[in-house]
Amino acid sequence: MTLYDKLFSFLGLSDWCKSENKAIISLKDLSAQAAGKEASGPFFPIPSLDNLNESCSRVIKSRDVTNGIEEGFLAAKPALKTVLDPITQPLSWMLDGALWVFESTPWFIMVPILVAISWYASHSRPVSIFVAISIMLLAFVDHYDETMQTLSIVFVCTTISVVFGVPIGIAMSNSDRLQRSLLPLLDLLQTLPTFVYLIPLIFLFSVTESKLYGIAIILYAIVPVIRLTDLGIRLVDYEFIEAANAFGMNDRQKLIRVKLPLALPNIMAGVNQTIMMSLAMVVIASLVSAPGLGVNVLRGIRNLELGVGIIAGIGIVLLAVILDRVSKAALKRIDKTRPKD
Amino acid sequence: MTQTMVSLRGIYKIFGPNDKELLHHVQNGMGKEELMEKYKHILALNNINIDIQAEKITVVMGLSGSGKSTLIRHLNRLIEPTEGEICLLGEDLTVLSEVDIRKTRQEMMSMVFQKFALLPHETVLKNVGMPLSVRGMDEADCDKEASKWIDRVGLKGYEDSYPWQLSGGMQQRVGVARALTANTPIMLMDEAFSALDPLIRTDIQDLLLELQKELQKTIIFITHDLDEALKLADYLVILKDGYVVQQGEPQHILMNPNDPYIEDFVSDINRARVLRVRSIMAPLGDGKLPLDAHGEVDVNDTLESMILRSGGDTSHTYVVKDGGKTVGTLDMNELVRALVPRVASETTTRQS
Repeated sequence: MTLYDKLFSFLGLSDWCKSENKAIISLKDLSAQAAGKEASGPFFPIPSLDNLNESCSRVIKSRDVTNGIEEGFLAAKPALKTVLDPITQPLSWMLDGALWVFESTPWFIMVPILVAISWYASHSRPVSIFVAISIMLLAFVDHYDETMQTLSIVFVCTTISVVFGVPIGIAMSNSDRLQRSLLPLLDLLQTLPTFVYLIPLIFLFSVTESKLYGIAIILYAIVPVIRLTDLGIRLVDYEFIEAANAFGMNDRQKLIRVKLPLALPNIMAGVNQTIMMSLAMVVIASLVSAPGLGVNVLRGIRNLELGVGIIAGIGIVLLAVILDRVSKAALKRIDKTRPKD
Repeated sequence: MTQTMVSLRGIYKIFGPNDKELLHHVQNGMGKEELMEKYKHILALNNINIDIQAEKITVVMGLSGSGKSTLIRHLNRLIEPTEGEICLLGEDLTVLSEVDIRKTRQEMMSMVFQKFALLPHETVLKNVGMPLSVRGMDEADCDKEASKWIDRVGLKGYEDSYPWQLSGGMQQRVGVARALTANTPIMLMDEAFSALDPLIRTDIQDLLLELQKELQKTIIFITHDLDEALKLADYLVILKDGYVVQQGEPQHILMNPNDPYIEDFVSDINRARVLRVRSIMAPLGDGKLPLDAHGEVDVNDTLESMILRSGGDTSHTYVVKDGGKTVGTLDMNELVRALVPRVASETTTRQS
């Protein structure tokens, strides 16, 4: 580390550096000392905190940075918890309530209801039949309960994402400033590795609370519906806005009669994406006690139970196909602006 | 002279962030190109003064980029002027609040758009009833009023269709019906028929004239097509690079173009079809009628019909009647002379 030693002495900082005695020595230095000579590293090591620390013990080490983040988070935790806990409590109730409803309804009522919903949404016979067959197939290999658990989580998280996401998207489309400030956050939420969501949440809430995985799923899944609502409204042709203005519509009328209906195909595409992403997150959320098919996938990985993992994986794929087909058929049905095939 | 419905007083419009600061340059005579080059601002309208007569069709004509679409959007303040007054029955619209201008748009002016701008997710019936439902009228009344106008523009039976199921011509009929349902005294038509093919355009022009005979709306019509302008206009305004080149009665402009730009324009049209007897007849001075008159003609007959009638014989003369009254005489020699197009003078360069 002679280069940085020279640098610090050149800057006249050697005394400042040495004021604290060099307590911890790296293993490399230690072995070098034992051999009776100074460690010989590369001539020009990368200027990192650890490398600088070797020349000047006043410089902090990288480990101190990660420790600092952790300590800072722990210090803020009580305050965060007092604010976030009551706000997010309804989410726990909703998740638990939905779980209870989905689990306690007998299958011979639940399956017809699901088929009826998909018929009502899509008005498509093949889609409805596909839904019935898929669920019965999963039930046949004794995955009915897990399927229902997963479905209930996706149902609650998607609903909440849409309820919050669409208004946020509308607000974003109205204000360039809001859009500029929210877009980086949305990018962050989308690119942050999904496991990283879980770490701070585990610190904040106890793993036994269902809102823990609820928040993780919603944070991940809300992004597309916000993005596509914003985009959809911004893409509405100016001629329609101009016509709305020319006939004296106020902002509310413009939103409800012109912007939202014309943006609907995009918004529905966002909802579809949100459903898919919450389904994807359900598997990861099973790491923090989210019930459902994800638990079996996890079991398959942990215990190398290939069959269990594959069956659960196929179950998730089937669910994804069901949700995708039903939501797309519903979108096609309500979109009156285009001819139907 | 009829009543003035809207008068535009000294309207300037500069597009760009510093429009107000640059206004005095334009008022001191800076042109469109210079403003663009020096300040990167676009001069769209330059000192526009027009009186729009009530119950008449005022046509604003100009090539693309002449500012005509910008001008029509000033009337209902879809675009705010940089400077100037827009007076509707004596009331300055430029000072109105957001709420008041909305009310004015709802009750005084309706608009027909070049690209129709029908709401694609609503049926023809709901589209046509839109101006009324915006005002808060209940749905049954809107539908009733809307179906009346759908019927009137000849689209009965299409009430429950969606716009994409109709042809362009039919869609614009819906657009016209929508504007009529608003039941406003003023109708703004922004290149309303430009997107239609020629035969359908003629149809819908005839429809408009027929409706106008009955409804007597104040119509401001924008077009780039001189034939269309001459067919529809009671009053013609010709716009170029944001300023008014000439305005007046169309026959008058045709006979007395005051600018090479307009001469260029009018040289391309079929003068015989557009000019009428009243524009070229010799007014009855001392009451002496030619004894060898070949017959009587109406003041509003076109020259084309006169040529047909005379069989091309230039020695004929006719007595011109307006209603029952004799108002002048027409010499076929004069008629032929009037058909000679006025070419641009040699000293000015023609724009090609």
